[in-house]
Amino acid sequence: MSGEVKAIFEPKSVVLVGASDGIREGIVSPAFFHSLVHNMHRFKGKTHVVDLSGKLEGAIKNLNQVPKGRDLAVVLLPSKLVMKNWRNLLNLAIKAIILVPGGFDQQQRKELARGVAKRKVCILGPNATAGVINTSKGLYATLERGFMPSRGGIAVISKDGAVGMAILDWARFYGVGVGKFASTGDGVDVTEADLLEFLTRDKETKVICIYLESVRDGRRFIGLIREAVKKKPVVVMNGGTARDERDKIFAAYLKQVGAIRVGIVEELLGVADALAKQPPMQGDRVAVVTNASGAATLVVDALSRKGFGLAELSDKVTKKITGKYPDINIADWVDLGIGAKADRYKFVLEQVLSDHGVDGVVVMNELKLSFLEPEDVQAIAEVAEKSKDKPVVSVTVAGGACVLVREAVKGKNVPVYDSPEKAAQALDALRFYGKTRAKVEKGV
Amino acid sequence: MGLVADKKKVAEILNSIRKDGRRELVELESKRVLAAWGVPVNRTELARDLSEAVKVAREVHYPIVLKIASPDIIHKSEAKGVKVGLSSELELRQSFGELIDNARAYKPDAKIIGLTIQEYIPPSREVIVGALQDPSFGATVMFGLGGVWVEVLEDVSFRLAPLSAEDAREMIQEIKGYPVLAGIRGTPPADVGALVDIIQKVGQLAHEFPRIAEMDLNPIFVFDDGKGAVVADARIVLRESE
Repeated sequence: MSGEVKAIFEPKSVVLVGASDGIREGIVSPAFFHSLVHNMHRFKGKTHVVDLSGKLEGAIKNLNQVPKGRDLAVVLLPSKLVMKNWRNLLNLAIKAIILVPGGFDQQQRKELARGVAKRKVCILGPNATAGVINTSKGLYATLERGFMPSRGGIAVISKDGAVGMAILDWARFYGVGVGKFASTGDGVDVTEADLLEFLTRDKETKVICIYLESVRDGRRFIGLIREAVKKKPVVVMNGGTARDERDKIFAAYLKQVGAIRVGIVEELLGVADALAKQPPMQGDRVAVVTNASGAATLVVDALSRKGFGLAELSDKVTKKITGKYPDINIADWVDLGIGAKADRYKFVLEQVLSDHGVDGVVVMNELKLSFLEPEDVQAIAEVAEKSKDKPVVSVTVAGGACVLVREAVKGKNVPVYDSPEKAAQALDALRFYGKTRAKVEKGV
Repeated sequence: MGLVADKKKVAEILNSIRKDGRRELVELESKRVLAAWGVPVNRTELARDLSEAVKVAREVHYPIVLKIASPDIIHKSEAKGVKVGLSSELELRQSFGELIDNARAYKPDAKIIGLTIQEYIPPSREVIVGALQDPSFGATVMFGLGGVWVEVLEDVSFRLAPLSAEDAREMIQEIKGYPVLAGIRGTPPADVGALVDIIQKVGQLAHEFPRIAEMDLNPIFVFDDGKGAVVADARIVLRESE
């Protein structure tokens, strides 16, 4: 790699190369080229569109007419046409080139690699079918319309384009903000490891999520994760190892260097959301605060399965709470009562968080629509955002209720889950990252 | 990690195996490598014939363990090539020929170097430490309790080498059978610190000698806390080519 990975995520100028008519092969089609051009309209830098079929109004017809020294080219052409135009492309002195389609044979890949060796350029792909996104720059160089996630501190690297798009799809579904995204595909030049290295240094990125298949230089990769977790959490999902013993071995490597491993896309985003929004957890004792006492049983079960214990509130805190609200029942969990409103949520959560016997809090709401209003839920977010050393996560046991709670705290730094298991997994990840941080600080 | 590693000596032994055109080290050679690397092994001596055996056994002290030594026989128990706890010269004399006969019956063309006379270790908790080279990630260490724990329950843990003491401790605590080592129903805890040391050393050895494709220290006897651990059998296999 001789170019700058930075140009992939933070280009000031982008050249889109494709054909608006005539050429169809695999992922290459006029429809996708139109989508790509459309998706880039939010880009805050300069966009040049090169239409080799010469039909798109206002587009450049010939590569030779593209101004030299642009930052990033996104190429949507079949392999044969890429190779035919390869020299012209290289002559443009572009810093980074994304080759979206796959289908490059051994010989063609070698030629691509030679280009990288000779020029100051880096290549993402071929087969980088999900493209690249940087939401804060309006960079949305991908083929599907309407998959742009909201802004956020999570960065996603995906080996596979389809899995990458699925991650973006779920991110949108759950309203999880994504800052940067890239799919690496065949990785003739830039690999997941290179992107990981960049994102480790990237100030906007709070959490790094990676979807992997095989790893070429495992030693380097594992070393890079070790470095990354000193600065921010890394969440890994991998495919293709479940059939043999290496699955267990790979899981052990990740654990050893402090990466959090998850099984499915929903878990990836759920865990990453918590890591992006809440501080790491420093112990095992969780306080459960709820307006629906019965359903809290399920939360306690889910927490126990992850090896958490229930926090016991001190007499002082208990007295403060019951002194102000005598009807609040404090036993295994804090039962606010079904009519709890914002003032009660706020006061009780603040008290619970101030207790030295509490390492983290789960707020479980059953949404009695007639009682709980958006501002009541916002009180949770308000307290959670102020908590600097103890995580607060919110959970419902009902799906529809979860959508409403999420809507009420949209854009706020409190993760909201639709099942106790997911909430417990989120706290588990926060606890694991807390331990990792402690090890880093101890230097072991 | 109290490392008294003799890198030169290990390289010498491995080179001589290569020169022999072999990949597989016999138990005695494997233990020499481990001993040179500072891993505690039970005293193990070669006897090429009976008179040598009688002499060596007196030095090792009865009771002893007698095992067939052949580069062609990997599973010595399967070949009925092991006698444990021989307590006298009479028993040694009775067993010597028997083990050689058994080996011949098991594998007629096996090259038999002789028998090893080994220090007998009284029954204690058994663990296994192994190493492998992952094609992408490199030297990797495996840990498990002996016998059914590993073979049936697959209750093992892995870590990338080299390992910190904390890594080694975590991999010991991670297995489901850990309470067996921590001490259950009145049994005192096992010497986990000694295991941490062995695991770290095995990891370092596999990391510094990538030509070691596989290592299997099985069983390792681990004594009560403060009393150490000792490797009772070991197998090292080299990579196919340099």
